[in-house]
Amino acid sequence: MDLVLTLLALAVAAFLAGLAGSYLGIGGGILLIPFMTLVLQLDIKVAVAASLVGVIATSSGAASVYVRDHLTNLRLGMFLEVATTLGAISGAFIALLINRSDLFVVFGAVVIYAAVYMARSQGTAKERAYREMKQSPLAERLELGDKYFDKEDKGVYRYKVARPGAGFAISAVAGGISGLLGVGGGIIKVPMMHVVMRVPMKPAVATSNFMIGVTAAASAFIYYSRGVLDPSLAGVIVLGVFTGTRVGTRMMVKAKSGKIRLVFAILLAAVGVFMILRPLFPGVNF
Amino acid sequence: MEALRRAVAREVEGLNRLIYHVLRGGVLLAVVFIATGFALGALNPAGLPSAPLNLSQLGQELATLSPAGFLGLGVLLMILTPVSRVFLSVLAYVDERDRLYVLITVVVFANLLVGMLLGLG
Repeated sequence: MDLVLTLLALAVAAFLAGLAGSYLGIGGGILLIPFMTLVLQLDIKVAVAASLVGVIATSSGAASVYVRDHLTNLRLGMFLEVATTLGAISGAFIALLINRSDLFVVFGAVVIYAAVYMARSQGTAKERAYREMKQSPLAERLELGDKYFDKEDKGVYRYKVARPGAGFAISAVAGGISGLLGVGGGIIKVPMMHVVMRVPMKPAVATSNFMIGVTAAASAFIYYSRGVLDPSLAGVIVLGVFTGTRVGTRMMVKAKSGKIRLVFAILLAAVGVFMILRPLFPGVNF
Repeated sequence: MEALRRAVAREVEGLNRLIYHVLRGGVLLAVVFIATGFALGALNPAGLPSAPLNLSQLGQELATLSPAGFLGLGVLLMILTPVSRVFLSVLAYVDERDRLYVLITVVVFANLLVGMLLGLG
């Protein structure tokens, strides 16, 4: 494909990935990798390497807004990143042992389960129920609870974080999958934080957005030094994603939490179905 | 309403504000370098790299003001932004004398370094 055309198409795709990514707390890799391999016909390793830079761009591009608006729960993100980074490094080693088809099916099943849970859970803008919750001793010790300002209804909400142990374990798994498949992992982290750890939707999105950048950075260096990172592709993705995050963050801070949750649930369902079906069609290059 | 927002913002320690400024600066710098790289590439399409770059080549390319050099530097800067964010968090927690989170953030930073070293290995 003509280079300029490829780069232009990728720029547009990256813009959309950055927009959706910052809005949902994911990296956009889950959208960009299929686009690069199926539409642009790029090699999967090259696509993964460039996509990781896109995840970082989504993360850092949106991060300044979310930190400034005090949506990101830095303590929670850092605590969980201990597990995710370890998982990512382990995942890279385990990659040799596991049957990839099995992994896709498991991944897809988990993702669909999360989609159903997300779509069903009652979410009102005033998520005050969280305030009444008793925090576990571990969460107290780690000071994971936080407060945030919701632009949708201009309220300040305190929340407490539940089940830090479970969250830690799931984050390790998310990191492992990230290391194996080359995605940022936000697609697991957001439901995990929101559903399992009872973090309200907007801080969950903002915190996931922070986390995916750190996770992707660990793998990105490995790809960088192995020589599969194409600067033109990565460069155009950065420009597109960055522009997308300008729009995505603006939309997210003003949106109804329920709407974000619904969009996320739909995306998860689509991804889950795709993941499960993928091993049945081995000819199709993901 | 603004007063409420400001009240929350005031509680946002120097930690967050510093990270915000550094991240913004780093991202913008990376974007500028990449845009410059593409602008140079538009003038000289042959100069656009399709081959991946390694660190030693990067220095050479930059010296000649080539598109590949600017693109390579911009992308590298981009990858370093989360790393610098974690590093700054370590410093910020040291400043706050929060020993638990100094430990936690140091562990995360160490993991990142391991990832980097494994890549070079």
